[in-house]
Amino acid sequence: MSKQEELRATARRLLAENRVDLILGYTAGTLPLRTTPFFARTPAEADLLVWNAFCEYNLTNYLPRYTGNRVGIVVKGCDARSLVGLLQQNQVQRERLYVIGIPCAGVVDRRRVALLAGGAEITAADITGGEIVVRGRGFEKVLPMEEVLFPSCRRCRYGNPVLADVVLGEKVPERKETYEDLAALENMPAVEREAYFAREMAKCIRCYACREVCPMCFCKQCFVDGTAPQWLSRWVGTADNLFFHLGRTMHLVGRCVDCGACARACPVGVDLMAFNRKMIKDAEALFGYRAGLDPEAHLLLGTFDPNDPEPFLFRG
Amino acid sequence: MKNPYLPMPARIEQLVVETTDGNLKTFVLRFLRDEDRRVFDFVPGQFAEVGIFGKGEAAFGIASSPLETGRVAFTVNRVPGGVVTNALHNARVGDIVGVRGPLGNGFPLKAMEGHDIVVIGGGFAFTTLRSLVAYVLHPQNRGRFGRLQVVYGAREPGLLLYKEELEAWQKREDIELTLTVDRCSIADRWTGCVGVVPKIVEEIGPDAAHAYAVVCGPPVMIRFTLPVLDRLGFPPERVLLSLEMRMKCGIGTCGRCNIGHKYVCKDGPVFTLSDLNKLPAEY
Amino acid sequence: MIIAKDDLPTFLDGLLGTYQVFVPLADGGESRYVPLAPGGTFTWQGVNTRKPPKEILFPQSEVLYSYEVGGDRVELREHFDKTKRVVFGIRPCDARSFLHLDRVFLEQEHQDPYYRERRENAVMVGMACLEPASTCFCTSLGGGPFAADGLDLLFIDLGDRYLVRRVTPRGEALLREQPALFRPAGEADRLAAREAEEKAKSLMSPIPDLSGVKPWLDAGFGDPLWDRVYEKCIGCAVCTYLCPTCHCFDLTDEAEENQCVSGVRIRTWDTCAFPLFTLHASGHNPRPTGKERFRQRVMHKFRYFVENWGEAACVGCGRCIINCPVNLDIREVLREIMARAAGAGVSA
Repeated sequence: MSKQEELRATARRLLAENRVDLILGYTAGTLPLRTTPFFARTPAEADLLVWNAFCEYNLTNYLPRYTGNRVGIVVKGCDARSLVGLLQQNQVQRERLYVIGIPCAGVVDRRRVALLAGGAEITAADITGGEIVVRGRGFEKVLPMEEVLFPSCRRCRYGNPVLADVVLGEKVPERKETYEDLAALENMPAVEREAYFAREMAKCIRCYACREVCPMCFCKQCFVDGTAPQWLSRWVGTADNLFFHLGRTMHLVGRCVDCGACARACPVGVDLMAFNRKMIKDAEALFGYRAGLDPEAHLLLGTFDPNDPEPFLFRG
Repeated sequence: MKNPYLPMPARIEQLVVETTDGNLKTFVLRFLRDEDRRVFDFVPGQFAEVGIFGKGEAAFGIASSPLETGRVAFTVNRVPGGVVTNALHNARVGDIVGVRGPLGNGFPLKAMEGHDIVVIGGGFAFTTLRSLVAYVLHPQNRGRFGRLQVVYGAREPGLLLYKEELEAWQKREDIELTLTVDRCSIADRWTGCVGVVPKIVEEIGPDAAHAYAVVCGPPVMIRFTLPVLDRLGFPPERVLLSLEMRMKCGIGTCGRCNIGHKYVCKDGPVFTLSDLNKLPAEY
Repeated sequence: MIIAKDDLPTFLDGLLGTYQVFVPLADGGESRYVPLAPGGTFTWQGVNTRKPPKEILFPQSEVLYSYEVGGDRVELREHFDKTKRVVFGIRPCDARSFLHLDRVFLEQEHQDPYYRERRENAVMVGMACLEPASTCFCTSLGGGPFAADGLDLLFIDLGDRYLVRRVTPRGEALLREQPALFRPAGEADRLAAREAEEKAKSLMSPIPDLSGVKPWLDAGFGDPLWDRVYEKCIGCAVCTYLCPTCHCFDLTDEAEENQCVSGVRIRTWDTCAFPLFTLHASGHNPRPTGKERFRQRVMHKFRYFVENWGEAACVGCGRCIINCPVNLDIREVLREIMARAAGAGVSA
């Protein structure tokens, strides 16, 4: 049985036995390279669930909306870590959840596929073995899967969900997590790095898709929306955009699990992961902390240890 | 052509703290420029965007009558956390504010002429009703309208607006004013009615045959008043309501104050109940 | 008229003396209309740019006026943008969106002078779509890959040359500025253009019939459809900000140095997708959840705008489909509405 068949069977059973009110999963999308979030409420609807490398959404983002329901939810490795974060922060109740974990070898980076395919419209995409075949008007291109996976997935250590009531299918091999992706930025002269971020920030249209799609952005009122005082101007420009993204990044320290949902949601391709990855790296290097592994653990910024390094005190 | 986004500067000429809780203040404004005074030609029921430079602006119903020339008054309820209302409440006599308006449709005075008028108001929503009553009572206009009955209620006596004017109205013969409060203490020396507005309206039982009812007040008052008016025989075409919505532009472009295809800022804020019944209940 | 493709850079360069010229440009997977530098030209190969040209007429952020309060008086200075512009390479769907924006900003009791200044100073030059994308559905909404509504000129790519349709006197005047570059079109050119148009139309994806949408929406405000159809919407502004017809905005003040002595009033895009959009100061919100907000977007485009202006506020450009972070596809929503309309026996 494929993971997808196993998923449908599991979901059907949970719904038929009335153990959950709904299943948060994925169904076929309307575009190539896409699936779409799906809320199955009947055994018949369970048969519409899909599982493939296009299941790029972090569905735990929807959980705080369903606190009154018993929810079955499909989680990949990164999503399971988000779920741990939500549990740590009392945003969801464990006893109301049935967690269907699916070991994940990585999801496809649509933007990268489009780039590698030359920019012409892709009208069909199929994954066969280790390759993805994309077609459009008058072209076909075969790309190795490993090359088109989302960057976070290519270095993901936690493809196997850290928390689940049932795990479907074989475990995936653990990858080696490195921070090589940050090296280029870290080694850049400060002036160039500033210019790089200025360019990225100039793209942002402040649609807040990054915030809305992030499971950790569950604040009832975001700091950018306040009016008394108004922290952030409504003006959309490099400086204000940077203020928003840095504020968001700082608020995600020790909570971001590198799922990449924000970067995939961004309609204009802002390099959001650069910020997040730097914070993830520093949290680990300075405090030995990794987000989303233990529901019982305190949050990084919610703990004090007299032995914590305090480099900011002397670096200024 | 005039730029509808440009405020007309006006000076705060007079400030009246209306209620005992201090949360309602009336601002009497005088435009700095003569041409603005001429432009600001309004009918009761219209509103304006009033702002403090640097803080922004918000929509307020015009509380003065068009016949009080040269000056225009707004009564502002201070909302906790409201940037503009707090800034206004912190302003002093002599300070300059910006006014954009008049905006909206106002009460349909032409249609109302020749009819009895039943004004039903609650709380701080009495502002544009004050404008309407002052307009009808003006010697130039009084003869064009029939009976004028006013029922005005507040939670307690200290929260009624325009007390001096209410006293003056009570002494007149051409207006039947009934004041009511939800509750009062002996110290209030209250001589009016006690009871919620819909109940008082029902007791008074205004004759609906040739009358317009004009209703402004908190949602709960409106909800219970409308069935009373229905029982009294007011057809929805002759029940007028003034709506509140979050607004920005005031001219039907910024997109936030619509109810169905109507924009409260330009198609309203005054609607007949029959108009509203045709729109989605999203307000 | 006909202009050789080789002459296009000369034509565009020749405009730069008088106009700021915008062309669509791809930039690392992203694309939008950008000012052309001297010596630059039109290289765009795609169908729709990620960002529509709407921002040229209605920028995401703009200063409406600056103010200075001093003792007895207030100085107000309006910031109008009277730059003369040519926008080159506009797709017919985006051109059509200008007509919708015109209605909102110019055809009401109060004209919007900021939009008017930009609009009156912009010459709109279109580029017909030879190969519409699979997400295009302009023909369902009164448009077409060769439609010229909202344009002053329409260019049609005939391989080594463009056939230029003169749509308005303003467009015609633009050609007369460099008459040497253009020659009259012959019968063969016109035939080639007609063939290209037929081919483009044949490449359009199967299109849902939308005639029943408005009648269904008229009675469908309280339908259970809305309980489910919004469910995956995350409430971001992608669909509205990238929509060429969405025009909602916010007005705020920016005080300098946090003093109220001087500053500016700015206008910025806003969206019905955000809860703050309609939140009253009292805390009451007429559209409290994603359900009401998503319904507002659909209702505004396909019912309210039709009621006020006779047409839907959608040009079928497909941007909201391509860019939605969760693949909430407006065509699916419309199909679902049509299915219900058919079931309910509602017809146009």
